[in-house]
Amino acid sequence: MASATNGGESYNFKVVLLGEGCVGKTSLVLRYVEDKFNSKHISTIQASFLNKKINLDGNRVNLAIWDTAGQEKFHALGPIYYRSSNGAVLVYDITDEDSFQKVKSWVKELRKMLGVDISLVIVGNKSDLEKDRHVTLEEAKEYAEKVKALHFQTSAKLNEGVEDMFLALTQKMLDDAKKKKAQENLLIGQNSQRTVTVVDDEAETTKRGCCGSN
Amino acid sequence: MYATKQPSLRIKQADLKCKNGCGYFGNADWEGYCSKCYRNHMDKERQRKSNQSQHGDHSKATSFSKFEEKKRQQSDKKTKYFLPVFRKPSSLKETGRPEKYIDIRQMNPDADKLLAEFISAYGEWGEAVRKDFLKCVHSFTSKIIHELDFKSADELADIAQNYYNSYNNRLNNNTVYQNVTPDVRDKLLDFFERYSMVGLYTFLFCPPSTNDEDKDLSIQDRIRKLSWVNAHHLDCCISETSIEVRDLVYTAINDLLGMDSMKAPQEKLACVVRCCRSVVEVLQHCQGGPVSADEFLPALIFIVLKANPARLKSNMLYVTRFCYGARLMQGEAGYYFTNLCCAVSFIENLTAESLNMAQQEFEAYMSGEVTCVSAWESALVACEGMHQLCEHLSLLKGLSERMSAVKDDTQKLKDDMRKLKEEINDEVTSVLERTPLVIKPRKTIFPLTMEFLKSLPPLPEKPPIPDKGKEVEINQDVDTAPKFYQQNITLTQMGLSDNKPKLQLDITPCVNLPSASVVKPSLSTDFLSVPSPAADKSIESITPDDNSYLGLSKINYDIDFSDISAENSIIEDLGESRRSPTMSFTPDPFSPMGTGCPIMQSPLVPSAAEMPRVEVPPVRKNDFVLPFLEEIEKEDTKKETLLDKVEETPTICLPPPIKPTEYTGFSKQGSRIPSIPCNTGDVSSLNLQQSAGSSKDTN
Repeated sequence: MASATNGGESYNFKVVLLGEGCVGKTSLVLRYVEDKFNSKHISTIQASFLNKKINLDGNRVNLAIWDTAGQEKFHALGPIYYRSSNGAVLVYDITDEDSFQKVKSWVKELRKMLGVDISLVIVGNKSDLEKDRHVTLEEAKEYAEKVKALHFQTSAKLNEGVEDMFLALTQKMLDDAKKKKAQENLLIGQNSQRTVTVVDDEAETTKRGCCGSN
Repeated sequence: MYATKQPSLRIKQADLKCKNGCGYFGNADWEGYCSKCYRNHMDKERQRKSNQSQHGDHSKATSFSKFEEKKRQQSDKKTKYFLPVFRKPSSLKETGRPEKYIDIRQMNPDADKLLAEFISAYGEWGEAVRKDFLKCVHSFTSKIIHELDFKSADELADIAQNYYNSYNNRLNNNTVYQNVTPDVRDKLLDFFERYSMVGLYTFLFCPPSTNDEDKDLSIQDRIRKLSWVNAHHLDCCISETSIEVRDLVYTAINDLLGMDSMKAPQEKLACVVRCCRSVVEVLQHCQGGPVSADEFLPALIFIVLKANPARLKSNMLYVTRFCYGARLMQGEAGYYFTNLCCAVSFIENLTAESLNMAQQEFEAYMSGEVTCVSAWESALVACEGMHQLCEHLSLLKGLSERMSAVKDDTQKLKDDMRKLKEEINDEVTSVLERTPLVIKPRKTIFPLTMEFLKSLPPLPEKPPIPDKGKEVEINQDVDTAPKFYQQNITLTQMGLSDNKPKLQLDITPCVNLPSASVVKPSLSTDFLSVPSPAADKSIESITPDDNSYLGLSKINYDIDFSDISAENSIIEDLGESRRSPTMSFTPDPFSPMGTGCPIMQSPLVPSAAEMPRVEVPPVRKNDFVLPFLEEIEKEDTKKETLLDKVEETPTICLPPPIKPTEYTGFSKQGSRIPSIPCNTGDVSSLNLQQSAGSSKDTN
């Protein structure tokens, strides 16, 4: 009923957060969803699964952000997490070379398992610790371009680039989804991304941005 | 009626036996065969059918049927339960819907409940929605049951997912649902899944065609082997020393265990979600702040290891196969379920490396060579022990509280009883004090005496004393009356104000005063002398009474007293005796009343008080009578007091004797006693009155 009033459509995207432990995956998502950094002020008791509703080009998008355990011993569980996800945020710590290597292995795995169905964004977090940087921006950008992934530098602590990063990812997923839909025409995708859900009809913001903050 | 019913109820023993005659009992569900014969029968039947129907496509059919057979052989135990179901849809293929409809209803005992739920939740959307919903559910379930025999579990899952999708499309596109809000559409889709799956649960959960059961057993075994793994091994910060945390851990475990009892995939998912929320809470308690996946997953693994849920794999596969895919892949439930899958996967592939321990140590643990000896583990055990200790202590505390309460109450009851005893004793003594001993005969005699006194004015108040003093050999018959009179007088002289003279005081005065006035000694000696010396005839006539023990005379009292109706006659007798003194024997019945009193009083004197009495010793020799006497004397005292009281008035103004004013305790009795004789006189009139009253009442 309320799904197609302005020509836009509702999308549900599943985004997984991948990355080594302690690179700031949780901080990143909490900054994005709650706009808070210090864990003391955060009301959510669990940061492993969060929903974010945004409005993009008149399309209502519901982002389901899945946090994953970053410990090396859980690496093997990755496929279970990223199965049928639309996007992946690969986070590394700019002060930690190893975490970047980990991102590389993730990218390899994802491309191997899901091909180009998944939109990737490589995120260098902790940009506020510029002085301790071990992963150069150029290197990271170069790599990202090579694997057809977006690249962002963020600081969850200072709230730099977090929202831009998520918006860019959402845009990419949206484009992919629309492309895919156009290709498949009316055929329903295997993961039925077309499931129509209701999004609270808040005032539609014409500009590109987030309006559905909780 | 009974006769017609009975035969139908009776089943012959032979009817219960297997149709094959193998001696075992058959079953209606097995077409009258026993389990073994039925299986053979069905196997033959199936063979025959597959040969017949698949004739054209022979090679494929046989191979397929062989495949089926093999499967059945593998899971023989399970097949038994599924056979009737397998049979019906396949054999009744042509008959179509109605039969299947019944099937679905039969196999889904919750259908009615679900339907009621559906109506209450979605009834507002109209009959059409309900009809369409049920139509879809039935077509879905029929389809599944049709395919059950020929498709693998994964193929069935595909069918189910297609049905979900098509129903979802139907919800969004069909005109039937055009008025339904999108929210409700989602719920309808969920309900569609639930409704169908609750019915199909028996067939789709851990189907015999899969090796789900083996997986269950292997994971269970694996978890059992890993029971030594603790939170520390998993780098998980669950602090089991806190009671709150432990309770939450138990809650989480319970939720996870509850998954197996649910039927619909959604309900199972809900259990997982509840469990995971508890885990999140546990972590909140342990570390504070938002819980990230880095902490959540190890905790969940820990919970799964500790819970070791039954049929874990079957449940998970069932959910994965038959939960609407779109639901499973998104939302909180999807996330938590994914985490559970991860946890189980981790447990299955757990190595020494993943626990950060040496391979050797890991193997030692796994083989059971080494048991948990870590400080942490022993602390855990100790903690659990402490927990139990606390529980037991609190239990004991409660018990001891209850015990002391019981003790207190017992003590209180004891005190109460003692108090009651004391009170009763006090009351009795006070009553005894208040109501001095009265000699019973006096009462019966009293009216007579009064009448007599009235009728015999010559008898002065004092004269009797001198009379007695003068005469020892005074006529006993005549003596009685004056003596009573005298006693009364002495009592009144003793002081009417003295309302509570003691038992002996009451009596002693009677005897004492006369003795003091020289009259009594003679009298008493007179009585005492009765047994030994032979007195005049009149005395002799009494002696038998006395010799036959005072007790006897006492008994006479009782009879006299209780037999109040005889009072009149006694009075008459007395009167007669008065008139005819010669009849010395006639007074006998009341001689105890009259003469008995001094005699009986005599034992009282020593027993109750230290009143030095001369007559005491001789009377005392009748030791065995004493109890009797004392008992009866008490009664006597009571009666005496009553009479005394009654007597008081006569001395002053001589009102009708029977008007006790003060002694409420005996006033009733006292007033009743004399009144009864009056009534007995005209019982008929009384009866008449009563009958008249009753008749009035009835009228």
